[in-house]
Amino acid sequence: MQGLNRRDFLKVGAVATTATAAACTYDYKVPQEHVLPYVVNPENVQPGLASYYATACHGCASACGVVARNKDGRVVGVEGNPDHPLAASLCARGHFDLYAAYSPDRVAGPTDGRTALSWADADKKVADAVAAARAAGKAVAWLGAYRSGTVDALLGELVAGGLRRVHWEPMGVDALLAAARQAYGVDELPVYELGGAHTIVTFGHDFLNTAFGAMAMARGWAQAKDPARGEFVARMVSFEARLGSSSSQADHWFAAAPGSEARVAFALARLCAEAKGYTGPAAALLGAVDVAGAAAAAGLDEARLKQVAGWLAAGPSVVLPGGPSTEGADATALAVATLLCNEVLGNVGHSVVFGRGARPGQVNSYADVKALVDDAAAGKVGVLILDGLDLVHLAPGDLAVADALGKCDLVVQLANEPNDSSGDKTLLLPVGSGFEHWSDARVEAGVAVLGQPAMIPLKDSRGLGDFVLGLVKSNPAPAPAAVEGAVPDAAPVVTTASLAAAAATFGDLVKARWAAVYKPADADLATWWVEVQAKGVFAVSLPVASVVWQAATLPEVGAGLAAGEKALVLFAGHLHDGRWANVPWAQELPDPISTYFWNTWVEVNPKTAESLGLAEKDLVKLTTDTGTVEVGWFGSPAVREGTFALVAGNGKQVGKYAKGRGANAMKLLASSTDASGSLATGGLKVVATRVSGNSGVHALCGNLDQDGRPIAVAVNVDDAVKNLHGEAASIVPLHHIPIDERVTAAGSVDMFPEPQHPTYRFALTIDNNACNGCGACQIACAMENNTPFVGPDQLQKGRTMVWIRMDRFFEGEGENPDIRYLPALCQQCSHAPCEGVCPVLATYHNLDGLNAMIYNRCVGTRYCANNCPYAARRFNYHTWQWPESYHLMLNPDLSTREMGVMEKCTFCVQRTRAAKDLYRDVAFGEREPGRPVNMSQNTVPDEALRKLTACAAACPTDAITFGNWNDEKSTVRAIGESPRAYTLLGELNTKPGVRYVARINHNAPANAGHHGGGHHEAPAGGHDAGGHGAPAGDHGTHPAAPAAEPAHGAEHKEG
Amino acid sequence: MSADKLNYAQVNRDVMRPLFNPTAAWWGGIGLVSIGFVIGLYCLGMQLVWGLGVAGYHPPVFWGVYITTFVFWVGIGHAGTLISAILFLTRSRWRTGIYRAAEAMTIFAVMTAALFPGIHVGRMWQAYWLFPYPNQRQLWQNFKSPLMWDVFAVSTYFTVSTVFFLIGLVPDIAAVRDNTRGLTKKLYGAMSLGWRGTDRQWRHYMAAYGFFAALATPLVLSVHSVVSWDFAMADTPGWHSTLFPPYFVAGAIFSGCAMVITLMLPLTKLFKLEAYIHTWHFEHLAKLCMFTGGILTFAYGTEYFVAWYSDNMYEWGIFVDRVVGKYWWVFAMMVACNCVIPLLWWFKKVRTSFVGLFVVSIIINIGMWFERFNIIASSLAHSFDPGSWVYYTPNHIEIGILIFSFAWFFLWFLLFVKIMPSVAIAEVKETLRPPLRHDEEAAAK
Repeated sequence: MQGLNRRDFLKVGAVATTATAAACTYDYKVPQEHVLPYVVNPENVQPGLASYYATACHGCASACGVVARNKDGRVVGVEGNPDHPLAASLCARGHFDLYAAYSPDRVAGPTDGRTALSWADADKKVADAVAAARAAGKAVAWLGAYRSGTVDALLGELVAGGLRRVHWEPMGVDALLAAARQAYGVDELPVYELGGAHTIVTFGHDFLNTAFGAMAMARGWAQAKDPARGEFVARMVSFEARLGSSSSQADHWFAAAPGSEARVAFALARLCAEAKGYTGPAAALLGAVDVAGAAAAAGLDEARLKQVAGWLAAGPSVVLPGGPSTEGADATALAVATLLCNEVLGNVGHSVVFGRGARPGQVNSYADVKALVDDAAAGKVGVLILDGLDLVHLAPGDLAVADALGKCDLVVQLANEPNDSSGDKTLLLPVGSGFEHWSDARVEAGVAVLGQPAMIPLKDSRGLGDFVLGLVKSNPAPAPAAVEGAVPDAAPVVTTASLAAAAATFGDLVKARWAAVYKPADADLATWWVEVQAKGVFAVSLPVASVVWQAATLPEVGAGLAAGEKALVLFAGHLHDGRWANVPWAQELPDPISTYFWNTWVEVNPKTAESLGLAEKDLVKLTTDTGTVEVGWFGSPAVREGTFALVAGNGKQVGKYAKGRGANAMKLLASSTDASGSLATGGLKVVATRVSGNSGVHALCGNLDQDGRPIAVAVNVDDAVKNLHGEAASIVPLHHIPIDERVTAAGSVDMFPEPQHPTYRFALTIDNNACNGCGACQIACAMENNTPFVGPDQLQKGRTMVWIRMDRFFEGEGENPDIRYLPALCQQCSHAPCEGVCPVLATYHNLDGLNAMIYNRCVGTRYCANNCPYAARRFNYHTWQWPESYHLMLNPDLSTREMGVMEKCTFCVQRTRAAKDLYRDVAFGEREPGRPVNMSQNTVPDEALRKLTACAAACPTDAITFGNWNDEKSTVRAIGESPRAYTLLGELNTKPGVRYVARINHNAPANAGHHGGGHHEAPAGGHDAGGHGAPAGDHGTHPAAPAAEPAHGAEHKEG
Repeated sequence: MSADKLNYAQVNRDVMRPLFNPTAAWWGGIGLVSIGFVIGLYCLGMQLVWGLGVAGYHPPVFWGVYITTFVFWVGIGHAGTLISAILFLTRSRWRTGIYRAAEAMTIFAVMTAALFPGIHVGRMWQAYWLFPYPNQRQLWQNFKSPLMWDVFAVSTYFTVSTVFFLIGLVPDIAAVRDNTRGLTKKLYGAMSLGWRGTDRQWRHYMAAYGFFAALATPLVLSVHSVVSWDFAMADTPGWHSTLFPPYFVAGAIFSGCAMVITLMLPLTKLFKLEAYIHTWHFEHLAKLCMFTGGILTFAYGTEYFVAWYSDNMYEWGIFVDRVVGKYWWVFAMMVACNCVIPLLWWFKKVRTSFVGLFVVSIIINIGMWFERFNIIASSLAHSFDPGSWVYYTPNHIEIGILIFSFAWFFLWFLLFVKIMPSVAIAEVKETLRPPLRHDEEAAAK
């Protein structure tokens, strides 16, 4: 062969061989990726170590603090900011905020209809449209969700320049704010301090979930229910037609007829005043209140109302306002009435605090929205800027929003992804997520949250603040306005306008404005700003101004629905008003009450369902004057007969995950408002009929009640308080499988020896008394552990991958609802049924007490899952997908799992490993049998473990505690050995590492005085006894002492 | 044709007829089996590509149709060895006509069952990890796990049954060999291991046969006991019971004998083997079913008594739920098919009629499949925590794979009747009068 020498032959041969080998080994399943080092390593970035940024949550107006965890350039996790004085943890929706930031629907940049355009063109388009509108004498309007902080101030500047500004949320605070104005003449919301209340009365306030400031109230509620704090357990009473997640924890439920809540609240105020002997400024108003009439209208017993008033008057208390399901045509009157209750009880200034300036920026009512939309329909609006509101989806059925938007010359939508309001001519400007751009929020006058960017924007977006700053710069205001919300020690010497003029970016403006408003005069700016950025919040306690009742008359209250008319009430589920509908994890998180998902459903009382002749798969057709929906139903004992409670949030037309899911509840609403202009979402007239078909709703919780089994156990309140200090070892009524005494005498209860846990025995306690099933632990777990969503079809088959299952049991009846939640997760048993049966040893017991799982070894026999009494294991039926760009938020600390392998809760093993590494765990390496464990050396201290797992860190009520059981001084041990603690199905001798703390029940009112002997009339005793024929109360009178019971006693000996 | 008129040549001709002249019915059977194969392979392919999620699993029911079908086929695989080994040792004459087909059925049933652990696991490409084999990764199995016991029990049973079956075939294969030519003759010749029918060979052969019969006998009892431990050793209410081993063995013999009836009745008719397999044989099988069915009904009752007497609310909960819960129809099928309808066999007329035997035997097999489904699925669907209760029903993929299992089983069985004598020629000849003596006796009369 000419021309090919040996060297060339070898070269060609080598290349050809390599290419062939490469072609043959290419695995189509695994995309090729390149790992490249930084050319210049960014400062403070160590590969593999996370950076943490304190920022703000933009999930709702409450503005909680967030600590965002940035790993290798992407935020992969969020937790509450412990430095936030009001909200140290994040709710489920706070976690959705991060999922939303990675939504596959996010637009790449500014989009005009469907065509992309540059920011310069977009700016020009907006500027031209604004100029044209000005020239034509048309309005430039801003319609959006609540915004506080610097954006609120900038928008104030624009108002001076002619901007028409409306901030509204359909399940917002407008009625309560209007009531505060009427009652006390203050333009701020009351702050409810629940922590010390002995009696909590709610009229439907979603105070544990979606209400303004819910996280602070959740913490207070948990404190009020914790007998260890003040030797009392708050008694909770609910007056509403449908118990939701918040009110499901009520001890007493008075299902006031929808529409009658305001009258009941006024009646309660009068009864409270009588019980308390109130003589204050509102005393004269109470004479006109008709107690008997109110009780009759609500279908309640007047004597019971008196009893509730007695409880309220007897000690510290709080009366909470209404929520979406009770805010009907008398929403403001209801809010006034609840404030009046607090007034006569003397709660104002104690548990109901004014003067802290709590308000989520400007708040408008629905009436303002309607006026703006009507003007737009009349062609009077030139430019409409929609911020954070999917107006087309949210508008009531009789408000023709789409037409009105079409009449505007330009609709600018500030959103990251198209939604129902995005028309062909809408200019969609991506404002990015709160994790990408500067922001801030003001919670109260003395509390502000700094939202600093925690990662580089995923898409070509411009922060909301920068957009508004651009508007301000291009439309300078004629007259400067004072900086709002200044604290006394920082006198406002500068204005927002002057700061804005000087600021190049919104980030600069935030810094300058914070320096002007919040910085103490003597602090060095650079040092102070570093501190603020590190903490993420600014908080000072301000003196509380005292307020005086001002309303001279009581608001008119409507007659409510006529007898026999069916009532419709709306409530917010995990999707809130629909803002999370396009987050698949939000769709997938089962509703606490119905445990439904990915759908819209109506909750009806089983008796109502029976009268309608509803079969399991039937649909309910709900018709109002303005619309019709057909939805599946859930038979909930916690709904009043004749009331239809419909969940809001779904029924969207646009969105990869939102589209076609359920029906739009808002379309059943009419533009009917109450006196202050608040949209009525409760007490509406509805016609319901049965439609046969396949509704496609499915409950993840298998049974309505716990079938008499001691799963979520409750104890009597007096027992709980009396036995606080270990008078009895256990007061939990449990079932015990009888064991032959000869077996225990021979010591052969255990076939295998106790596993050794030389240093750590990781353990978890869950306080069921502080759990309202909110789902924060579930979603935090999913985020931390790379748990995929599986989609509606798979979830119908129960194939949830979330490692925590939220059991919900209706244990009570009628006025004693007793709804119990039980977060069920892997119990990390010492004698684990799963470990023995795995044929390939893919699951085994490790030295930390975990039932460790080796994914790569798993064949998928699923024997372990069958044998788990807690049904805590999850099987990968498919290789689940993380669509672009959700894969960017995968936690790199642990792997994803492929099809055919088992997985389950690991007690966040990646976090415990990291913590152990951090504390240089030499004891682990030098382990010898019999060597005493030195708890003081090198082990992770209790403070570092207590909130280590994702679920414990997320729990808004601190119900979950993690720790080392071997450490006798650990918190988890103290809680786990308290008289109310029990192991789930401990009688099986599985020796779990998780301990539950029994829920505390107040006795039914009829037995309120007879608790001397610990007599139980509570459903706990009755149900528990039902299983094996013992008389009710048997367990209560003879508290089971675990030490005396061989099978149970063994549980406490481990470690 | 009465037995009196049979001679050795006639036996050879009758029994070997299907080997040389398969009927249209045989080809029809092959056609049906092929359809089942296509359906099954499609379903298996779907499952292999997309994962087990294509099946109807509804956690916490992690075991469903596949394990049900596994236990069903292992159960079917009991009658053959029972008939061939135990009845041989007890010198029961009626085994002669039927044991060959019953044994073949056993082996094919176990082969069918053996498919299912593979079909059932999440990563079937890793199913070989269940076998302890030396490997560089130093991986080893968990011998605490009943599934490992299962692996050994089933593979031992399969090995011993197959050897026993092949040994029993030797004289008959030799007979076939002598009737064939060319390549076929060579193949049968190899399988007959040089059998010439000498006295010496017969002496060794009978000793070996007795030895294997004795070896196989305990396995009849052990295999299904071990399979039952998959359930009995677990803590799931409805599974965790010491009653399971005898209860499962009785059920296995019950279903196995019913399956022998189901298979042999049409075989006898189609291949005209009435001279060798009489109603008398079927009646004996039916009586065995009646006996084991009685044990089974008693065991059902005992389960309920124990569940109630234990004062264990979880145990009692599942037993009540099986009757009144969502799976009531499974329970009803089980009781009707296994306890009630087989009572018809107490009437001699029914247990001696073709239709009576055939229909009831099929019903028993349906009932036994539902019994396993009742035990497996309903228990998992109604475990300790009411929050985890679900209602699982199989979907089309699982039904397709169930059909596949029948197609696979019948394919082997059809090949068997085409290739091997389905009645034991040598043993039938033993029951006949030797040819010359027959003439002498006639002359003497």
